[in-house]
Amino acid sequence: MIEIRDVSRIYRRGADEVHALEHVSLHVDRGRFVALMGPSGSGKSTLLNLVAGLDRPSSGTVEVAGQRLNDLSEDELARFRARHVGFVFQFFNLIPVLDARSNVELPLLLTKLGKAECRARADMALQVVGLGERAHHKPAELSGGEQQRVAIARAIVSDPEIVVADEPTGDLDAKNAVEILGLLRDLCREFQKTVVMVTHDPRGETFVDEIHHLDKGVLQDSAPGKGAA
Amino acid sequence: MKFLPFIWRQLVRNRLRTALTAGAIALAVALVCLLLTMPAGMNAMLKNLASNTRIVVHNKAGITYQLPYSYIQKIRAMPGVVGAASWTWYGGAFEIEKGVTFPNFAVEPDAAGVVWQDYKIDPQQLESFRRHRNGALVGRGTLRTQHWKIGDQVALRGTAWPVDLSFEIVGEIPNDRSPVFWLQREYLDQALRAAGRPALDSLGIIWVRVDDASRVEPLMREIDDTFRNSEAQTASETEQSYFKNFFSMLQGFVTVILIVTGLVALCIVFIAANTASMAVRERLGEIAVLKALGFSRRLIFATLLAEAVLLSTLGGALGALTAFGLTQALHGASGWNPALGPLGGFVVSEAILVQGLFLALFVGMISGVVPAFGAARRSVAATLREVF
Repeated sequence: MIEIRDVSRIYRRGADEVHALEHVSLHVDRGRFVALMGPSGSGKSTLLNLVAGLDRPSSGTVEVAGQRLNDLSEDELARFRARHVGFVFQFFNLIPVLDARSNVELPLLLTKLGKAECRARADMALQVVGLGERAHHKPAELSGGEQQRVAIARAIVSDPEIVVADEPTGDLDAKNAVEILGLLRDLCREFQKTVVMVTHDPRGETFVDEIHHLDKGVLQDSAPGKGAA
Repeated sequence: MKFLPFIWRQLVRNRLRTALTAGAIALAVALVCLLLTMPAGMNAMLKNLASNTRIVVHNKAGITYQLPYSYIQKIRAMPGVVGAASWTWYGGAFEIEKGVTFPNFAVEPDAAGVVWQDYKIDPQQLESFRRHRNGALVGRGTLRTQHWKIGDQVALRGTAWPVDLSFEIVGEIPNDRSPVFWLQREYLDQALRAAGRPALDSLGIIWVRVDDASRVEPLMREIDDTFRNSEAQTASETEQSYFKNFFSMLQGFVTVILIVTGLVALCIVFIAANTASMAVRERLGEIAVLKALGFSRRLIFATLLAEAVLLSTLGGALGALTAFGLTQALHGASGWNPALGPLGGFVVSEAILVQGLFLALFVGMISGVVPAFGAARRSVAATLREVF
């Protein structure tokens, strides 16, 4: 599902070069729940951006869902993300003026589905995350955990193969964090989604199938998680 | 949910700001629409004021220069001329210390009824004007302003001619906007002689009524050709052209107003652009999320531009319709309130409505294009890093 070969990512900051990733290779199979862990500035978010098609590597190749992302233009990358990737962010990033259902429907604006079909899919996604009854609530009327569930519903509504999650429990209390991690694991188990998650949360280790540790842009080691099937 | 509801909800997220921006655009578009009625409105007003069978003959050097009185006899003898009357500026001042004044002219009473037949002056009052040497016909506008009525005695102090004259108002010129005051030419002539001054042998301008509108142009040429080699050459023009020249200063004023309006519209572009920039700046994170979800740069650009255009068009439509409603109301009111008469000609036509809407569209596009382009071309990964 995800094949990363000898990838480096170098940013230019004025006259300086920042080596965010150096010669990283990684393979993730379909339906796996993977955690990228490491201290701040270790390059885990950069790696996540490359997997999600938000960024391109300086060298090496990134192949996701059978597509080599290096050669895609901005518009092609946007189309790739719309078809293959769902996103979950640390701060939920819902549109405040839209209710839960409309937020979930957002990715479907990019499809040719009719209004009724979009609504049905959004309602189903909300059911999956356990918020079927809160479809008409705006983000401000939902708790942090509920908002993150809406974000997960938005991530899966267009049925992507991959869900990328950047610190999905970073802004949640312990109880909600565990619920969200459980929900992400269920996506892998029940819907065969490949979930790649960046996290600092040690509780994540008990839910994921594999853990990859990065430090200073280098992949240090890979280990099975405690949630491995 | 589809794109239009999505754009609409983004637009109304800050209702006060949206309302204020739409209000500013509405005001500017209404102003532009109202000003665009001025050229057509002034033409309509001139058409209303001027007859198409009346010619004005004045000195080629300018209307302040006199013509020999003998000219009027020669013109009356020309074929096609129904009547000719002269206007000689008396310059009489009423309560000069209070600044009360109105245009007053010496005319021939016999010719006045013929030349200004369309004024529909009461025949009995016209007859009375003929019979009374010191009689005066006064425009309804001046009668109303001065609270005068028929039968009142009025004294004017001469400023152009060194004689003060007393008058009895014997009739009115039944035109609400007419400010003029007519006196008998013979009365002025006799007063000058009595004061030991030379007889009145000159005139200011000659008004000529022609029997058929098609003869106006040839007759004007004939009059000017007749006096081409005389001591005072003439310049003939239609009454409409005469008023148009008379109002040319006003038209210059209209041009200035149109230029100022253009500048106001430009200011509105800047205000709308500032609003659009603020709206985009506040939502950089959301825009980055939309891009992450797969919204292309082009789609982001189109969505933000559509937001600016929608806001501007709604404001513009409100402004154009307000201007339309206002002029229609004035047009309707002018039917039963003659004092509003000239305003009735200033109407926001369908063409002006369309121009107003196009202006609003233009404002929306110009104001939205820069912030939308800026937001669309930002790198999604960099924005996510900056914002979150």
